[in-house]
Formats: sequence, structure tokens, C-alpha cells
Amino acid sequence: MTALSIENVWKEYGDQIVLENLTLEIAPRSFVALVGPSGCGKTTLLRMLLGQEQPTRGRILLDGTPLPPEPGPDRGVVYQRYSVFPHLTVLGNVMLGPELQANRLTGRSFGAARRALADQAREMIAAVGLAGAEAKYPAQLSGGMQQRLALAQALMMKPRVLLLDEPFGALDPGIRTEIHHLMKRLWNELPMTVVMVTHDLREAFTLGTRIVALDRTRSRPEELLRYGATVTKDIAIWPPRVAGRATLYDTEHPQAQDDLTAFASPAGTTRQTPSLI
Amino acid sequence: MKTSRRSTMALLAALGTLGFLTPAFAAPKTDFKVAWSIYVGWMPWGYASDTGIVKKWADKYGLTIEVTQFNDYVESINQYTAGSYDAVTLTNMDGLSIPAAGGVDTTAVIVGDFSAGNDAVLLKGPGTLADIKGRDVNLVEFSVSHYLLARALDSVGMTEQDVKVINTADPDMVGAFQTPDVTAMVTWNPMVAEIAALPDATKVFDSAQIPGEIIDLMVANTEVLADNPDFGKALAGIWYETATLMTADTPEGAAARAAMGAASGTDQAGFESQMAATKLFDKPGDAVAFTTSPDLPKTMDLVRGFLFDKGLLGSGAPSADVIGIEMPGGVVLGDAANIKLRFSDTYMKLAADGAL
Amino acid sequence: MRLINQRLSPGAGAVLKTLPFVALVLAYLLGSALRLAENPNDKLLPALTTLADAIDRMAFTADPRSGAYLFWTDTLASLGRLAAGLGLATLIALLVGMAVGMLPVLRALLAPFIGFVSMVPPLALLPVLFIVMGLGETSKITLIVIGVAPIMVRDLAQKVLDLPREQIVKAETLSASTWLIGLRVVLPQVLPRLLTALRLQLGPAFLFLIAAEAISADSGLGYRIFLVRRYLSMDVIFPYVAWITLLAALADYGLDRLRRKLFPWSELEGAR
Repeated sequence: MTALSIENVWKEYGDQIVLENLTLEIAPRSFVALVGPSGCGKTTLLRMLLGQEQPTRGRILLDGTPLPPEPGPDRGVVYQRYSVFPHLTVLGNVMLGPELQANRLTGRSFGAARRALADQAREMIAAVGLAGAEAKYPAQLSGGMQQRLALAQALMMKPRVLLLDEPFGALDPGIRTEIHHLMKRLWNELPMTVVMVTHDLREAFTLGTRIVALDRTRSRPEELLRYGATVTKDIAIWPPRVAGRATLYDTEHPQAQDDLTAFASPAGTTRQTPSLI
Repeated sequence: MKTSRRSTMALLAALGTLGFLTPAFAAPKTDFKVAWSIYVGWMPWGYASDTGIVKKWADKYGLTIEVTQFNDYVESINQYTAGSYDAVTLTNMDGLSIPAAGGVDTTAVIVGDFSAGNDAVLLKGPGTLADIKGRDVNLVEFSVSHYLLARALDSVGMTEQDVKVINTADPDMVGAFQTPDVTAMVTWNPMVAEIAALPDATKVFDSAQIPGEIIDLMVANTEVLADNPDFGKALAGIWYETATLMTADTPEGAAARAAMGAASGTDQAGFESQMAATKLFDKPGDAVAFTTSPDLPKTMDLVRGFLFDKGLLGSGAPSADVIGIEMPGGVVLGDAANIKLRFSDTYMKLAADGAL
Repeated sequence: MRLINQRLSPGAGAVLKTLPFVALVLAYLLGSALRLAENPNDKLLPALTTLADAIDRMAFTADPRSGAYLFWTDTLASLGRLAAGLGLATLIALLVGMAVGMLPVLRALLAPFIGFVSMVPPLALLPVLFIVMGLGETSKITLIVIGVAPIMVRDLAQKVLDLPREQIVKAETLSASTWLIGLRVVLPQVLPRLLTALRLQLGPAFLFLIAAEAISADSGLGYRIFLVRRYLSMDVIFPYVAWITLLAALADYGLDRLRRKLFPWSELEGAR
């Protein structure tokens, strides 16, 4: 199972220190919500976990191995916007990852492999509640549906870590509640660790197993540049939420191990055999 | 109601654009516009304008004459044909194919010179004119070069079917001759001199072999001229004063030739070598003799035959006779009811008689 | 009501649309009639019948000298040059534009150079081209390519840079290599822009084509116009100009239709 270790990480942009001596151990299957005021570096931290940016000092380990310096298929991501490809249909977006992984030259699957992949993709589309929209383009979907699509697309890669950058921040409250249910269910059923950046505390407490707050400890104007943000609060939810097991408070979702089982195979094996499809 | 307002607006818009499209109406006037372009036989006009000779003669007749140099020869003729200019420098052939064929009745006031070597057929590598067979020939299509080619081919029993003509702009001739795919060319001076000086160029035919056929003129609108004979007299006065000066073997003559050479992009020596390939009529008597000789109708017959073959006398023209060409003494070539090009010796005679 | 709030009925809109065209034709006819009344042989604004005769002679009657239908050989020659030039420019724009837009190394290497080259006035290069490449087709096609390719390259590279960074990172998390990102993420998204860039370059391409044909050629629309200009044959020039305009307008419309057909998503609201 996947553990993330963030060890004495500093992030500086020129003179500006953004993150200061950050240390964080993230247990396998946890759902960490990163909160904090704007500009406190939570997105920067997420980008470093993604591999899009590198720590200035310190290191980040994934299951004891240092992260490669660029994004890869073991870490999925969903952004608030631009997470899906406007030129592909819903089906095309969901199939894209496995297609790229299996066809390093053309990036496309053909024939039987394509049909098998399409069936798999349709299951995933149904699992996130987009059945019937397979032939639509993202621009024809509502914001909530686009984020469901982005989740489906990311989950097709069976990532060990799923990184969420304010994924539901732009959605209407009703839609957001629905997608929270979906998110919780996906986390329960799929073998992944989730790190989510959010500015919405309620969302953090609804979804997370652990809330990590980042902030600057010194806030005088002349100190802003020289002192970065670090962990100011680290709250474990009580009673503890454990992936795959409903808590007292999570009764709204029945524990149906239905259509997602196919995607819940142990991460270690699927990752090493990408040509499965 | 609405419709009528709309059509009124359309009419107004139409009238707005007409301002510059309506032809100039001829009537007695004192302001005249003359267009000329760079060529050895026309350089005197620029020189006369620069040195006050134009003003001197215009003042004598109480006129204002504005002399404008065009960098583009064809554009100057088109401007004249469209009515923006009263007179222009052109060749006998272009006078027939452009203004005359365009219905603008045109009179040759001054026969300035004829080409006697200024136009030439050039081949790359050694050879004679017969070797042109089967080659691409670069020239300005429908220009005097084209006519010269037709006459040259005729002289060795070939026709234009034996070569392939590639239209090429005259400023690019010298450069074009040095590219590998160009092997034959017809052009005029100063390009001929420059190309002939290249190591692998051979001059195989030139206008000295068809003397008197490529004639450089100063023409004016016949109607304008009829209403304002003083304009013609002024033009003749300007020409013969300048021509006499430039052919004189005096320091003033040398200075004039140097100035004209500089203005045409060469020097006194270069200009004098071009003059050597030109039969310049600096004495009005010679020009009168040339204009009234029986050779002129023969030349114009050849020229109009060439133009008719090329469809340049109008698409609907049934024969080369469609446009009448009048020579001094009432000789008319073609349709006497549709005379559009006139060779006149009136003004040159006045000059010869010293009556200007 | 404010002018800015005025709405037109469809009928009035249609009338207004045709009005400038009608006005142009009327102005022409009037000018032509006036000039012809003065001089029946006037060549500047020929009458409609003269224009029709010229069209018939150029397009539907074999030329007595060569036996060819000049209008169509001219059109074919010009369109061939145009297609070769624009095709080459499009290919260059696609390859170089994508490479420069995607790869920081190539961007650093080439972007300033391309920016500089795109400022070269192509027509000023024409004499050089004719000397270096001869008077044949090569120099004409090269002129078109030099004239339009750098601008298309820049346009396309900018379009690649405008793609949200998130999309590229997302593709990486979907296991894409640089090549696959180019092939499946960037290429399909810049193709519609490529067609649009091509549309915008149609005008300049025609300009360069006609300029090149005016200098040296034995057929082509620009060649014919500059040839018959020698004897002020407006009855040929006007139909040729109208034809070139029509061809350009049709190509413009066709490319836009093609884009919509091939890339339906590029028309959707909010699609980038």
C-alpha cells in the first residue's frame, strides 16, 4: 500500500520562501485534505507531489522511493478546470490513458483491444454516473459532469495516489454534495491514497480522514518573503474513517461493491503490467 | 418609399465614385500635363524640364506644362489613355495598341528617334539566330521586344511557334539572364548593353537590322491638340532645342549627355553608346522627311499586322484595318472612318521653317 | 432608441447585406455608360456586353495561337502554385509550430529567429529569389512559403503555448510521452487553428502569387492581368479580379466548413 513521505521540504522561488521545512507522513489509503488561506502554498505542495515541481530542499518519497522529477501514471490528478480534453468525447477521454499506455507509437488501440478497452471505459463511465453521455464532448457537459469525467479518466490508470486540486470548488452546492458521495465511494472502493487541496473546510471534514492546515507562522509584511508556510494544524478525524469501511456518519452511501471491483485490483500488479488491456 | 430612398442612396454612392472616372473634356486651356519614362530617346524631356527649357517654351506661348516622370512605362501610357495626361512618350507600336485601340484619338507630335540597335535578341552561349529554335525566350510580352522577335524569326524563316515566350518584367532581365534556365532573351537598352557585356552572351539580332520600325514618339491627344495648337508648338520647341543641345560637340552638349546618363542610371559614356544605337532626329527636317517617306506606311502595316495577330487591336477586330492610321498628306492605312492614330508633320515643319 | 440597441428584421438585414454590392454595380454601370458615351472605344470601364465577350473569349473559346482555354489554364496554373505554396507552408507551420510550442529547447533555439524572419518583407526578397532559384515555379512557390509560413508558425506555436498547462500534466499522468502528447493532445487541438491560420493567409498568399506571376511566367491569373494591363484590357482584368476574389472567398468558406466538419468540438461553447 502506498505511503507518501514528505521530509523537510522547502520550496523557494528566488528570494521568496513559499514552504518551509515541511514534514508530513501520509499513511496508505488515507484521504488528506490540505487547507489553508490563499497563497499558503497548498497548491505548490500538490504540484510537488505530482512531480510538476521539485522541492528546493528536502525530498518526497512514495513507498520509500524518491518521486521521479516529472508526472507519471502512478499519480492521477483532477484540477478545478482543464482536467479533460475538449477534443475527445467522454468515451475518448476515459479511454485515453490506457490507450496511451498500451500503444507507445500511435497512442491508439485498434480492433479487439479497442473494443475491450471501450467496454471497460463504459463501466467506469457508468460508475461515475455518466452513462448515456459517452458520445458527448466535454463542452456539452455541466461542470459537475465534467468533474465526474475527470475522475473517471484519472481512475482508469489505477493511480496509487490521486491528487485533487480544488476539484469541486466551482460547483453548485447541490451538485457538490452528489459528487462528494461519489468521491467517498471511489475512495472506499479503490486502492488509492488521496490528497485534496480545498479552501472549503466543510468539504475537508466531509471527505477527509485527516485535515492538514498550512499557514505562515509569521505574518508581518517584512517577514512574508523570508518565512514560508508550514503545517499549523494536523487533525485526524474522529471517529476515524477507514477506507472500505463505513463510519457511523457515512450512512448515506450503501457499501455496494458492484461495478468498481474491476478497477480495485491491487495497485502493485496493475501498475507493472500496463499492457493488461 | 423605403425602396426609393434606398435607390437614391445607391445613386449617390455611384455618383461619388464617378468623380475620378469621368473623362476629361477637351477645350481650350492653358495647363497641360506631359508624362514620360526613362529611355534614351526620351531623356531630353526630363532634362528639358529640369533645366528650364520646358518653362521657357511654355511661357513663350502663355502655357503651363507640367512634365512628370513615370517609373513604369506602361502605367504612363495607361494614365494618358485614361485621360489624366495630355501627352506621353511612347513607341509607334504601343501608340497603336493602347491609346488608339482604346479609342483615344492620338497624334504623334514629334518623331524623336528610331531604334537602331537599342533592341536586341540575345542568346546564352555561342550561336546564331537560328539556334533560338525550341528555346524559351524571356521578354516583355506584347512589347517592341516581342515585335522584334517576330521580325527576327521571320528573317530566318521561323515563326513564334518555333520558340516559347516567357513573359518577364524588364527590371529583372539582367538578373534573369544569369539564371541557368534562361537561354534566350529579347530586351532593350540599357539592359542589352549590360547583358551583352556578360561573358557567355551573344547578340544575334538587333533593331539596326530593321531600321526605322521601332519609333519613339511624343504623342498628344488629337482633340486637345486641335483646340490648343500652341501646346504642339511648345512641345516641338522644347524638343528641338534640347535635341540640338545634346547632340552638340560642345562642353554644354557633353554636360547635357552626362546629366541624362546620370538620370538614366549610367554615365556620359554609357549614354553616348546608347545614343549610338539610336537614330535621334535632332534636325526637324530629317524628322519631316522620315514621317513623310513611303517607308512609314510600310512599317505601320507590319506593326498593325503583328498587333492584329496577337489580338491587340481589340478582341472583336475583324481585320488589321479596324483602326485607321493617317500619315501626312492624307495617306490612310485602314478604316478612314475610324482614324485613331495620326502622324503629323505640322509642328516639326514649323520647327524646320523656324516659325515657332 | 440607441443605435447600439437597434435590431433588424431578417428581411431588412438581407437588403442591407446586398446594398453595397448593388451600389458597386450601379456605380460601375453608370461610370461605364458615361465614359462610353464620350468614347465608344473606351477601355477603362467596359460595358457588360464587352465584359461578357471577354469572358467568352478567355474561358469558352480556344485561343487561336495555342488552342488552350486561357482562363482555365491560367486558373489551373495559379491554383497549382497556390496549393503547393500553402501546402508546404502548412506542413512547415504544423511541424515547426508544434515543436517550438511544445519543446522548451527548440523554443529557445528558434522562437526569436522565427519572430525575426517573419518580419522580412517577402516582396523585397523577390529579386533575390529570382536570381537564386531562377524564374521557374520554384521561386514563385518559395515566395508564397516565405510570405506565409513564418506567420503561421508563430500563430501555431502560440496556440500550443495557450493550451492549459493542466492538460499537458494531465496527459503525463495518463502515461503519455512527449511524442504521444504531441500526437494525441496537442495535434488534434491545433488542427482547427491551423485551418483558421490557413484561411487568414489566403489573402497574402494570393498577393505573393500575383506579384511573382507578374514578374515572370507563361500562364497564371496574375500573369494574365499584368500582361493585358499592357494594352489596358480592363474587359479581361475585371473578370479576372472578380474570379480571384471569388476563388479566395470560396476557399475561405470551404476551409471554415471543413474545420467545422472535421472538428465539431471546436465550435462548441467554452471549448478552447
